[in-house]
Amino acid sequence: MVFQMQGVQSMLKEGHKLLSGLDEAVLKNIDACKQLTVITRTSLGPNGMNKMVINHLDKLFVTNDAATIVNELEVQHPAAKLLVLAGKAQQEEIGDGANLTISFAGELLQGAEELIRMGLHPSEIISGYTKAINKAIELLEELVEQGSEKMDAKNKEEVILRMRAAVASKQFGQENILCPLIADACIQVCPKNPMNFNVDNVRVAKLLGAGLHECMVVRGMVLKSDTVGTIKHIDKAKIAVFGGGVDTSATETKGTVLIHSAEQLENYAKTEEAKVEELIKSVADTGAKVIVSGGSVGEMALHFCERYKLMVLKISSKFELRRFCRTTGAVSLVKLGQPGPDELGFADSISVEEIGGVRVTIVKNEQGGNLVSTVVLRGSTDSILDDLERAVDDGVNTYKAMCRDSRLLPGAGATEIELARRLKEFAYKETGLDQYAIAKFAESFEMVPRTLAENAGLNATEIISSLYAEHAAGNAKVGIDLEQGVCRDVSSDGVWDLYLTKFFALKYSADATCTVLRVDQIIMAKPAGGPKRDQPAPADED
Amino acid sequence: MALRVLNPNAEILNKSAALYMNINAAKGLQDVLKTNLGPKGTIKMLVGGSGDIKLTKDGNTLLKEMQIQNPTAIMIARTAVAQDDISGDGTTSTVLFIGELMKQSERYISEGMHPRVLVDGVDIAKRATLEFLEKFKTPVLMGETPDKEMLKMVARTTVRTKLYESLADQLTDIVVNAVLCIQKPEEPIDLFMVEIMHMKHKFDVDTHLVEGLVLDHGARHPDMKKRVENCYILTCNVSLEYEKSEINAGFFYSNAEQREKMVAAERRQVDEKIQKIIDIKKKVCDGTDKNFVVINQKGIDPPSLDLLAREGIVALRRAKRRNMERLVLACGGEAVNSVDDLTPSVLGWAGLVYEHVLGEEKYTFVENVKNPHSCTILIKGPNDHTIAQIKDAVRDGLRAVKNTLEDQAVILGAGAFEVAASQHLKSTIKKTVQGRAQLGVEAFADALLVVPKTLAENSGLDTQDVLIGLQAEHEKGNIVGLNHHTGEPMDPYMEGIFDNYSVKRQIINSGPVIASQLLLVDEVIRAGRNMRKS
Repeated sequence: MVFQMQGVQSMLKEGHKLLSGLDEAVLKNIDACKQLTVITRTSLGPNGMNKMVINHLDKLFVTNDAATIVNELEVQHPAAKLLVLAGKAQQEEIGDGANLTISFAGELLQGAEELIRMGLHPSEIISGYTKAINKAIELLEELVEQGSEKMDAKNKEEVILRMRAAVASKQFGQENILCPLIADACIQVCPKNPMNFNVDNVRVAKLLGAGLHECMVVRGMVLKSDTVGTIKHIDKAKIAVFGGGVDTSATETKGTVLIHSAEQLENYAKTEEAKVEELIKSVADTGAKVIVSGGSVGEMALHFCERYKLMVLKISSKFELRRFCRTTGAVSLVKLGQPGPDELGFADSISVEEIGGVRVTIVKNEQGGNLVSTVVLRGSTDSILDDLERAVDDGVNTYKAMCRDSRLLPGAGATEIELARRLKEFAYKETGLDQYAIAKFAESFEMVPRTLAENAGLNATEIISSLYAEHAAGNAKVGIDLEQGVCRDVSSDGVWDLYLTKFFALKYSADATCTVLRVDQIIMAKPAGGPKRDQPAPADED
Repeated sequence: MALRVLNPNAEILNKSAALYMNINAAKGLQDVLKTNLGPKGTIKMLVGGSGDIKLTKDGNTLLKEMQIQNPTAIMIARTAVAQDDISGDGTTSTVLFIGELMKQSERYISEGMHPRVLVDGVDIAKRATLEFLEKFKTPVLMGETPDKEMLKMVARTTVRTKLYESLADQLTDIVVNAVLCIQKPEEPIDLFMVEIMHMKHKFDVDTHLVEGLVLDHGARHPDMKKRVENCYILTCNVSLEYEKSEINAGFFYSNAEQREKMVAAERRQVDEKIQKIIDIKKKVCDGTDKNFVVINQKGIDPPSLDLLAREGIVALRRAKRRNMERLVLACGGEAVNSVDDLTPSVLGWAGLVYEHVLGEEKYTFVENVKNPHSCTILIKGPNDHTIAQIKDAVRDGLRAVKNTLEDQAVILGAGAFEVAASQHLKSTIKKTVQGRAQLGVEAFADALLVVPKTLAENSGLDTQDVLIGLQAEHEKGNIVGLNHHTGEPMDPYMEGIFDNYSVKRQIINSGPVIASQLLLVDEVIRAGRNMRKS
């Protein structure tokens, strides 16, 4: 009768796992992260490949947007999850560059693995990487294109210039159609102080059918529902918005109608009617031609609305209603009653149209004060529409980022090579073991042009060596021209990246890398039970 | 065996088997936590049942999350958690100390010594060490204006063991300023008055101290202003929504006219309350450029919000109870429970109130307050585990500062105290003890050295070299600690490495107690659930 006591494992609850040490924890973690980046890497850049992801709900995604891919992958490995989190943080902060974040972190970790095998201690690598990222950020600042810090947020040309790279990396070849649309939509709703630009104000309406060339921008909103009444079209109308339902008023406490005789019953119905009529009439008297309800619209109320020639719209989402208020400048009334003149909104036209078999209500407001615009996307399948939407989202987010900081960096791998070159110089000046880590960090930057070239089917090694040669000669803006497969100054083609995107992506990847390296023990609890998710449909044989 | 007769299913471990189980468990736990100690300790990654990630270096968090099952280990873990509850720090040291004490005792016991005698010696050593601690401590006089530098040094020592250096240094300033902000003369420090708020945003280095309050919700009306300056703040706990009467009531009406009246009557009560708030707002704000903010602990219903919005009043509903206390401390004024007879004197004041939106989340900042006695540490980080890690560190840092202010003393850190105490025990105390109990003192003295040893080990230094170096210096009468960068002895006073007096005292008090108890166990009886893994 001996209690078996062997190490820590026996002290933990059943099913717990303890991984510790360099081999078991650090290298395994790095390996898992590398596996993740193998998946994302091939999607980097304009020529990146699409992935087909089927998530646990059997929904199909066809995309090259890294944020979506890793999100739907449901990564389980804890270390790889750290990279995913970094990618998500990037997506939330900037809305673009998630792939760069994840792939670059993977590359850094690969470098770290080589260093560990060389005999460096993770803590030395961390300190080297930390130094390197600080230096890289400094250098990044120096590479900023002169004169790009000033931007007119209302100038379409300038906006498109900055947005192109982000959109092109998602929808290569279609950026010339999409960018002007997105730019238009953004500029329309850009407030006086561009810093306050709200991404939420650019809406996307996806309508199945037709093609990319039929996409358009609507100043106003597109509601995917019909009007309630029979009036389907109205011009230059005043609008009353009620937050609650348009119906007979009710008390909070339960009410009972007390009726003694048949006469009273008849009378009651009449008074009820009279009340509703009074309400609708009072609204109509203000000159309003449209009633928007946030809740249900009573039959009787509808009847009177028709009689007074009022258009009735129902918007049940609170947020949608709020946006509607912003579009028309109306104030949402909580109480049913006559709205004051300044509480009424205005729209140039509200009309129901049938697009691609779906009835939509288009609310247009060309005048100033309109805060919402909508990009109507057309496409033949749902997944194309979804992918287009992601591209638009990225574009809008980029607009927001450029409003905050409009500085530009040369794109197409030029910045990365320049960073790699300068960082290497910096590394050689460092004393101590740090310099190996800094040099590795610098080398990791090559990943970007290398992947761009690989994804375009070019000879990566050749490209990189000629890039280095050009940069050494002082041409800091030379990048890869993917179409012709040569190295040249791409700035004339308008391939630029936003400084802010790069800045956050680099910071987040370095952060995630260091966190992964810092971990030397993993204690895993037994996976919690719970309803088993449906097994994903068996994949095609490959 | 006697137990077998009583309960045939029971298992028993006796004498040496029981002792070794305890010792092994203690050593095992020590092994897990060993790598945590000190600024060069490594990070553990905890993966929860649902796949959630937690990164930590904090012994307390680790012990809580690890779900230990071994009974002996649980006992030790509880002591360590108690350590954290009392002093906020030193959990890892406690576990290490207990483990080491058991390890040292094992040596003597295996040579045939009776645990009882050993425990007697340990007890003597404990008392002597506590006395020595009193002599060794560096008094810090906390007069009217506390020595900020000293507080910073203590906080830095604690926080650096939880986070990496550059972030730790930044947090040090934050926690010291936060505690000094809420400190009031002649009153115990209530750390709850420091609000810790987090935002998933930007980087960990963007964490900062807000002299004022950050609330994790926003105004619930779209037309309320997002940013107001020079505002009066009304802190209240008044329900501004229709409350159902307690009795079961119903309305009876026979036409719509009557019903409308009922509807109006229902609202009137709430409307009257709102009117009172509007009246006071008009009284203090009309004709000036000042604004008015209402922060209510209870709810405010949409019609009321609407009324307030029309008057240009910013209203926040459902604030945390603790935030009501904090608001009063930060902005002044009083928290009112009724809107009857409001006077301007109950109003607080803030220079700036604004709303910050992060995706779906809304935050309200109440800033530029006069003479704040409450403040907010706003933690930022790109993901949850970073935030959690900083939160733990901030908590420990705050505790460390508070302890220093209350102890009015600090202890030289970096292992200096442990080496000094060990020397003192061996050279002075041991001689005063009669008989075999001397060995208990010796075991205690050796066990103390686990702190510098582990510090050295985690820094990748040679433990023996370091220890001999330190001891030699102490021999000469110099009080030195370990410089973990170089492995050379250094003066902790010059480097500004100080530990909390109360933390050390707690370790020395509780560690030997639990170790003695475990040593004196001679039978482990299991009756019921299987202790051993099946």
